[in-house]
Amino acid sequence: MKKKKIVCLAALLPFLLLAVMYELLPLAMVVVDSFRNDVTGKGSLGYYRIVFTKLLYTKAITNSIRISLISALIGIVIAFFGAKAAQEQKGKLGTVFATVMNMVSNFAGIPLAFAYMILLGNAGVMVQFGKAFGISALADFNLYSRNGMSLIYVSFQIPLATLLLMPAFDGVRKEWKEAATMLGAKESVFWRKVGIPVLMPGILSTFSVLFANALAAYATAYALMMNSLSLLPIQIAGCYVGEVKIQKGLGGALSVVMMAIMVLMILLTNALARPFQKGARR
Amino acid sequence: MKEKGRKQNGSAAVLILILIYLLIPLAACIVYSLFADWTGIIPRGFTLEAYRSISMSEAFWQALLETVLLCAAPIAVTILVVLLAIYAVVVYFPGLEKYAQIICMIPYTIQGVILSVSILSLYVGSKSFLSNRLLMLVGAYCVIILPYIYQGIRNSCRAIDMTTLLEAAEMLGSSRLYAFFRVVVPNLMHGIIVSSLLAVGIIFGDYVLVRNLSGSTVTNIQIYLYQAMKSDSMKSSAVFVMIMLVTFLIAALVMAGQSRERKK
Repeated sequence: MKKKKIVCLAALLPFLLLAVMYELLPLAMVVVDSFRNDVTGKGSLGYYRIVFTKLLYTKAITNSIRISLISALIGIVIAFFGAKAAQEQKGKLGTVFATVMNMVSNFAGIPLAFAYMILLGNAGVMVQFGKAFGISALADFNLYSRNGMSLIYVSFQIPLATLLLMPAFDGVRKEWKEAATMLGAKESVFWRKVGIPVLMPGILSTFSVLFANALAAYATAYALMMNSLSLLPIQIAGCYVGEVKIQKGLGGALSVVMMAIMVLMILLTNALARPFQKGARR
Repeated sequence: MKEKGRKQNGSAAVLILILIYLLIPLAACIVYSLFADWTGIIPRGFTLEAYRSISMSEAFWQALLETVLLCAAPIAVTILVVLLAIYAVVVYFPGLEKYAQIICMIPYTIQGVILSVSILSLYVGSKSFLSNRLLMLVGAYCVIILPYIYQGIRNSCRAIDMTTLLEAAEMLGSSRLYAFFRVVVPNLMHGIIVSSLLAVGIIFGDYVLVRNLSGSTVTNIQIYLYQAMKSDSMKSSAVFVMIMLVTFLIAALVMAGQSRERKK
C-alpha cells in the first residue's frame, strides 16, 4: 500500500513541477511584482497609480476594452445568425459552412493581419478597386485605425463564436417551435420569447470567451499597428521585451489589470446568465 | 411549403455571406501570390516565381524545421506528464481531479502574452540553466497546450473503465503502472492523437510566445512570415499560402479524428 502511494506521488510529480514552474509561480510572481518597487523591493501601489493616471496606459485600457467589446458584440450577433442558419440548413451547405468555420478558426495572428494588409492596406487590392470605381468607403479605408482593427478582430471572432454557439442551437427543440406556431406565434415572437432566452446562457458564456480572446490578442495587433495604437497586450509585452531593463512592476500592474478585466467580464456574464438558467425563478 | 422554401433560401444567403466575408482575405492572398502585377483591377502576369523562390530559400526550410521541432518536444513532454498525472489521480488521489482541471484551464483563459512575460521575468535573470531561452519557450508551450491535451485525454478516458482494467491486470500479476502503459494507454491513443494535432495547430500558429521568450534565437514560421512581410509582399503571400495549407490540413485531420470518435 505504501509503495503504491509512492509510485503515485512520483507519477504526479512531473505534472506538479511543470504547473508550478511554468504556470503558477510565474503568474504569482507577476502579481507580487506589481505590488513592490522594482529597485527597493518595498511594498508599493505606485505602479497602479502610473497605470491609472498616465495617458498612454489609460488609453491602452480603454482602447483594449473598446475593441474587445465591439468585436465580441459584432462577432456574437453575426455568429448567432450564422449558427441559426446552419441549423436550418441541414444539407450540403450546412456541412461546408461548419467545415470552413473549423478551418478558419485556427487562422489568426500574423497571417490574418497580412491578408488584410493585402486586401485593405494602403495599397491594398480593395483600396485600388475603390479608387478605380470611385467608391470612397473603400478608397479611403484606413486599416491602421481602431475601426480597421475591429474589422480584423471580428473576422477571427466569427468562426470561434459560431463553433461555440452551434451546439447550443441543438437545444432549441423543434417541438417548441411547432407548439409556438400552433398557438399563433410568429417566428420573431418565438425567438424573442423562447429561443433567445433558452440560448442566453450559451450566448453570454461565448461572449465572455470572445471578449477575453480579443483582449489578449497580441500578434494581430502587433503586426498591424506596431506602436501607433496603444493596446494593453502590446504595452505589457513592451515592459519586458526590447527594453534594456525589464520593468517588472509596471508590467505586472498592467498584467494584473488585464486579468482583472477578464475576471470581471466572466463574473458579469455569469451574473447576467443566472436568471436564464434552467430552474431559475424569474 | 412556399414559406419553408423562402426560409431555406434566407438561411443559405446568410451562410454564403459569412463565408464570403471570411474567405475573401484568404482568396486575395492566394491570387496575389500567383500574379506578378496586381495594381490594377485585374491581376496580370501569372507566375509561380514566388513559390520557386521560397522553395529555394534555405531560411524558409530552416524556419519550417524549427517549427516542427518546436512542436514535437513540448507535445511529447506534455502528453507523458498528463498521462502520469491522470494515472496518479485515478488510482490514488481522485480528490485532486478538480484541482488538476483548474490548473489545466488557467492557460486557456490568460493566453499567451501574460504567460510569456511572467515566465520571462521570473527566469531571465536566473544564473542557472533555467535562464536558457529555449527551455523557457518549451516550458511555456507545454503549459499553453495543457488545456487541450488534458481535456482530450480525459474525454477519451471516459469511454473506458480504467479502474477495472487496472484491477484485472493487477490480479493477473502485472504492476499497475505497467498495465497502465500497456493496456490503458493504447486505448487512449485516439484521443492522444487528436489532441496532439490540436496542439500542433496552436504551436504552428504561435507568434507571441516565440517572440517574447526566444529573444530572436528561434525563427519559427510565423516570425519568418513577419520578417518577409516587411520586404517582399509577393513572396510573403506565398509563405502565407503555405501556412494556410498546413493549418487547414491539421484542422482537417482533427475534424476527421473527432468525427470518428463520435461514431464509436
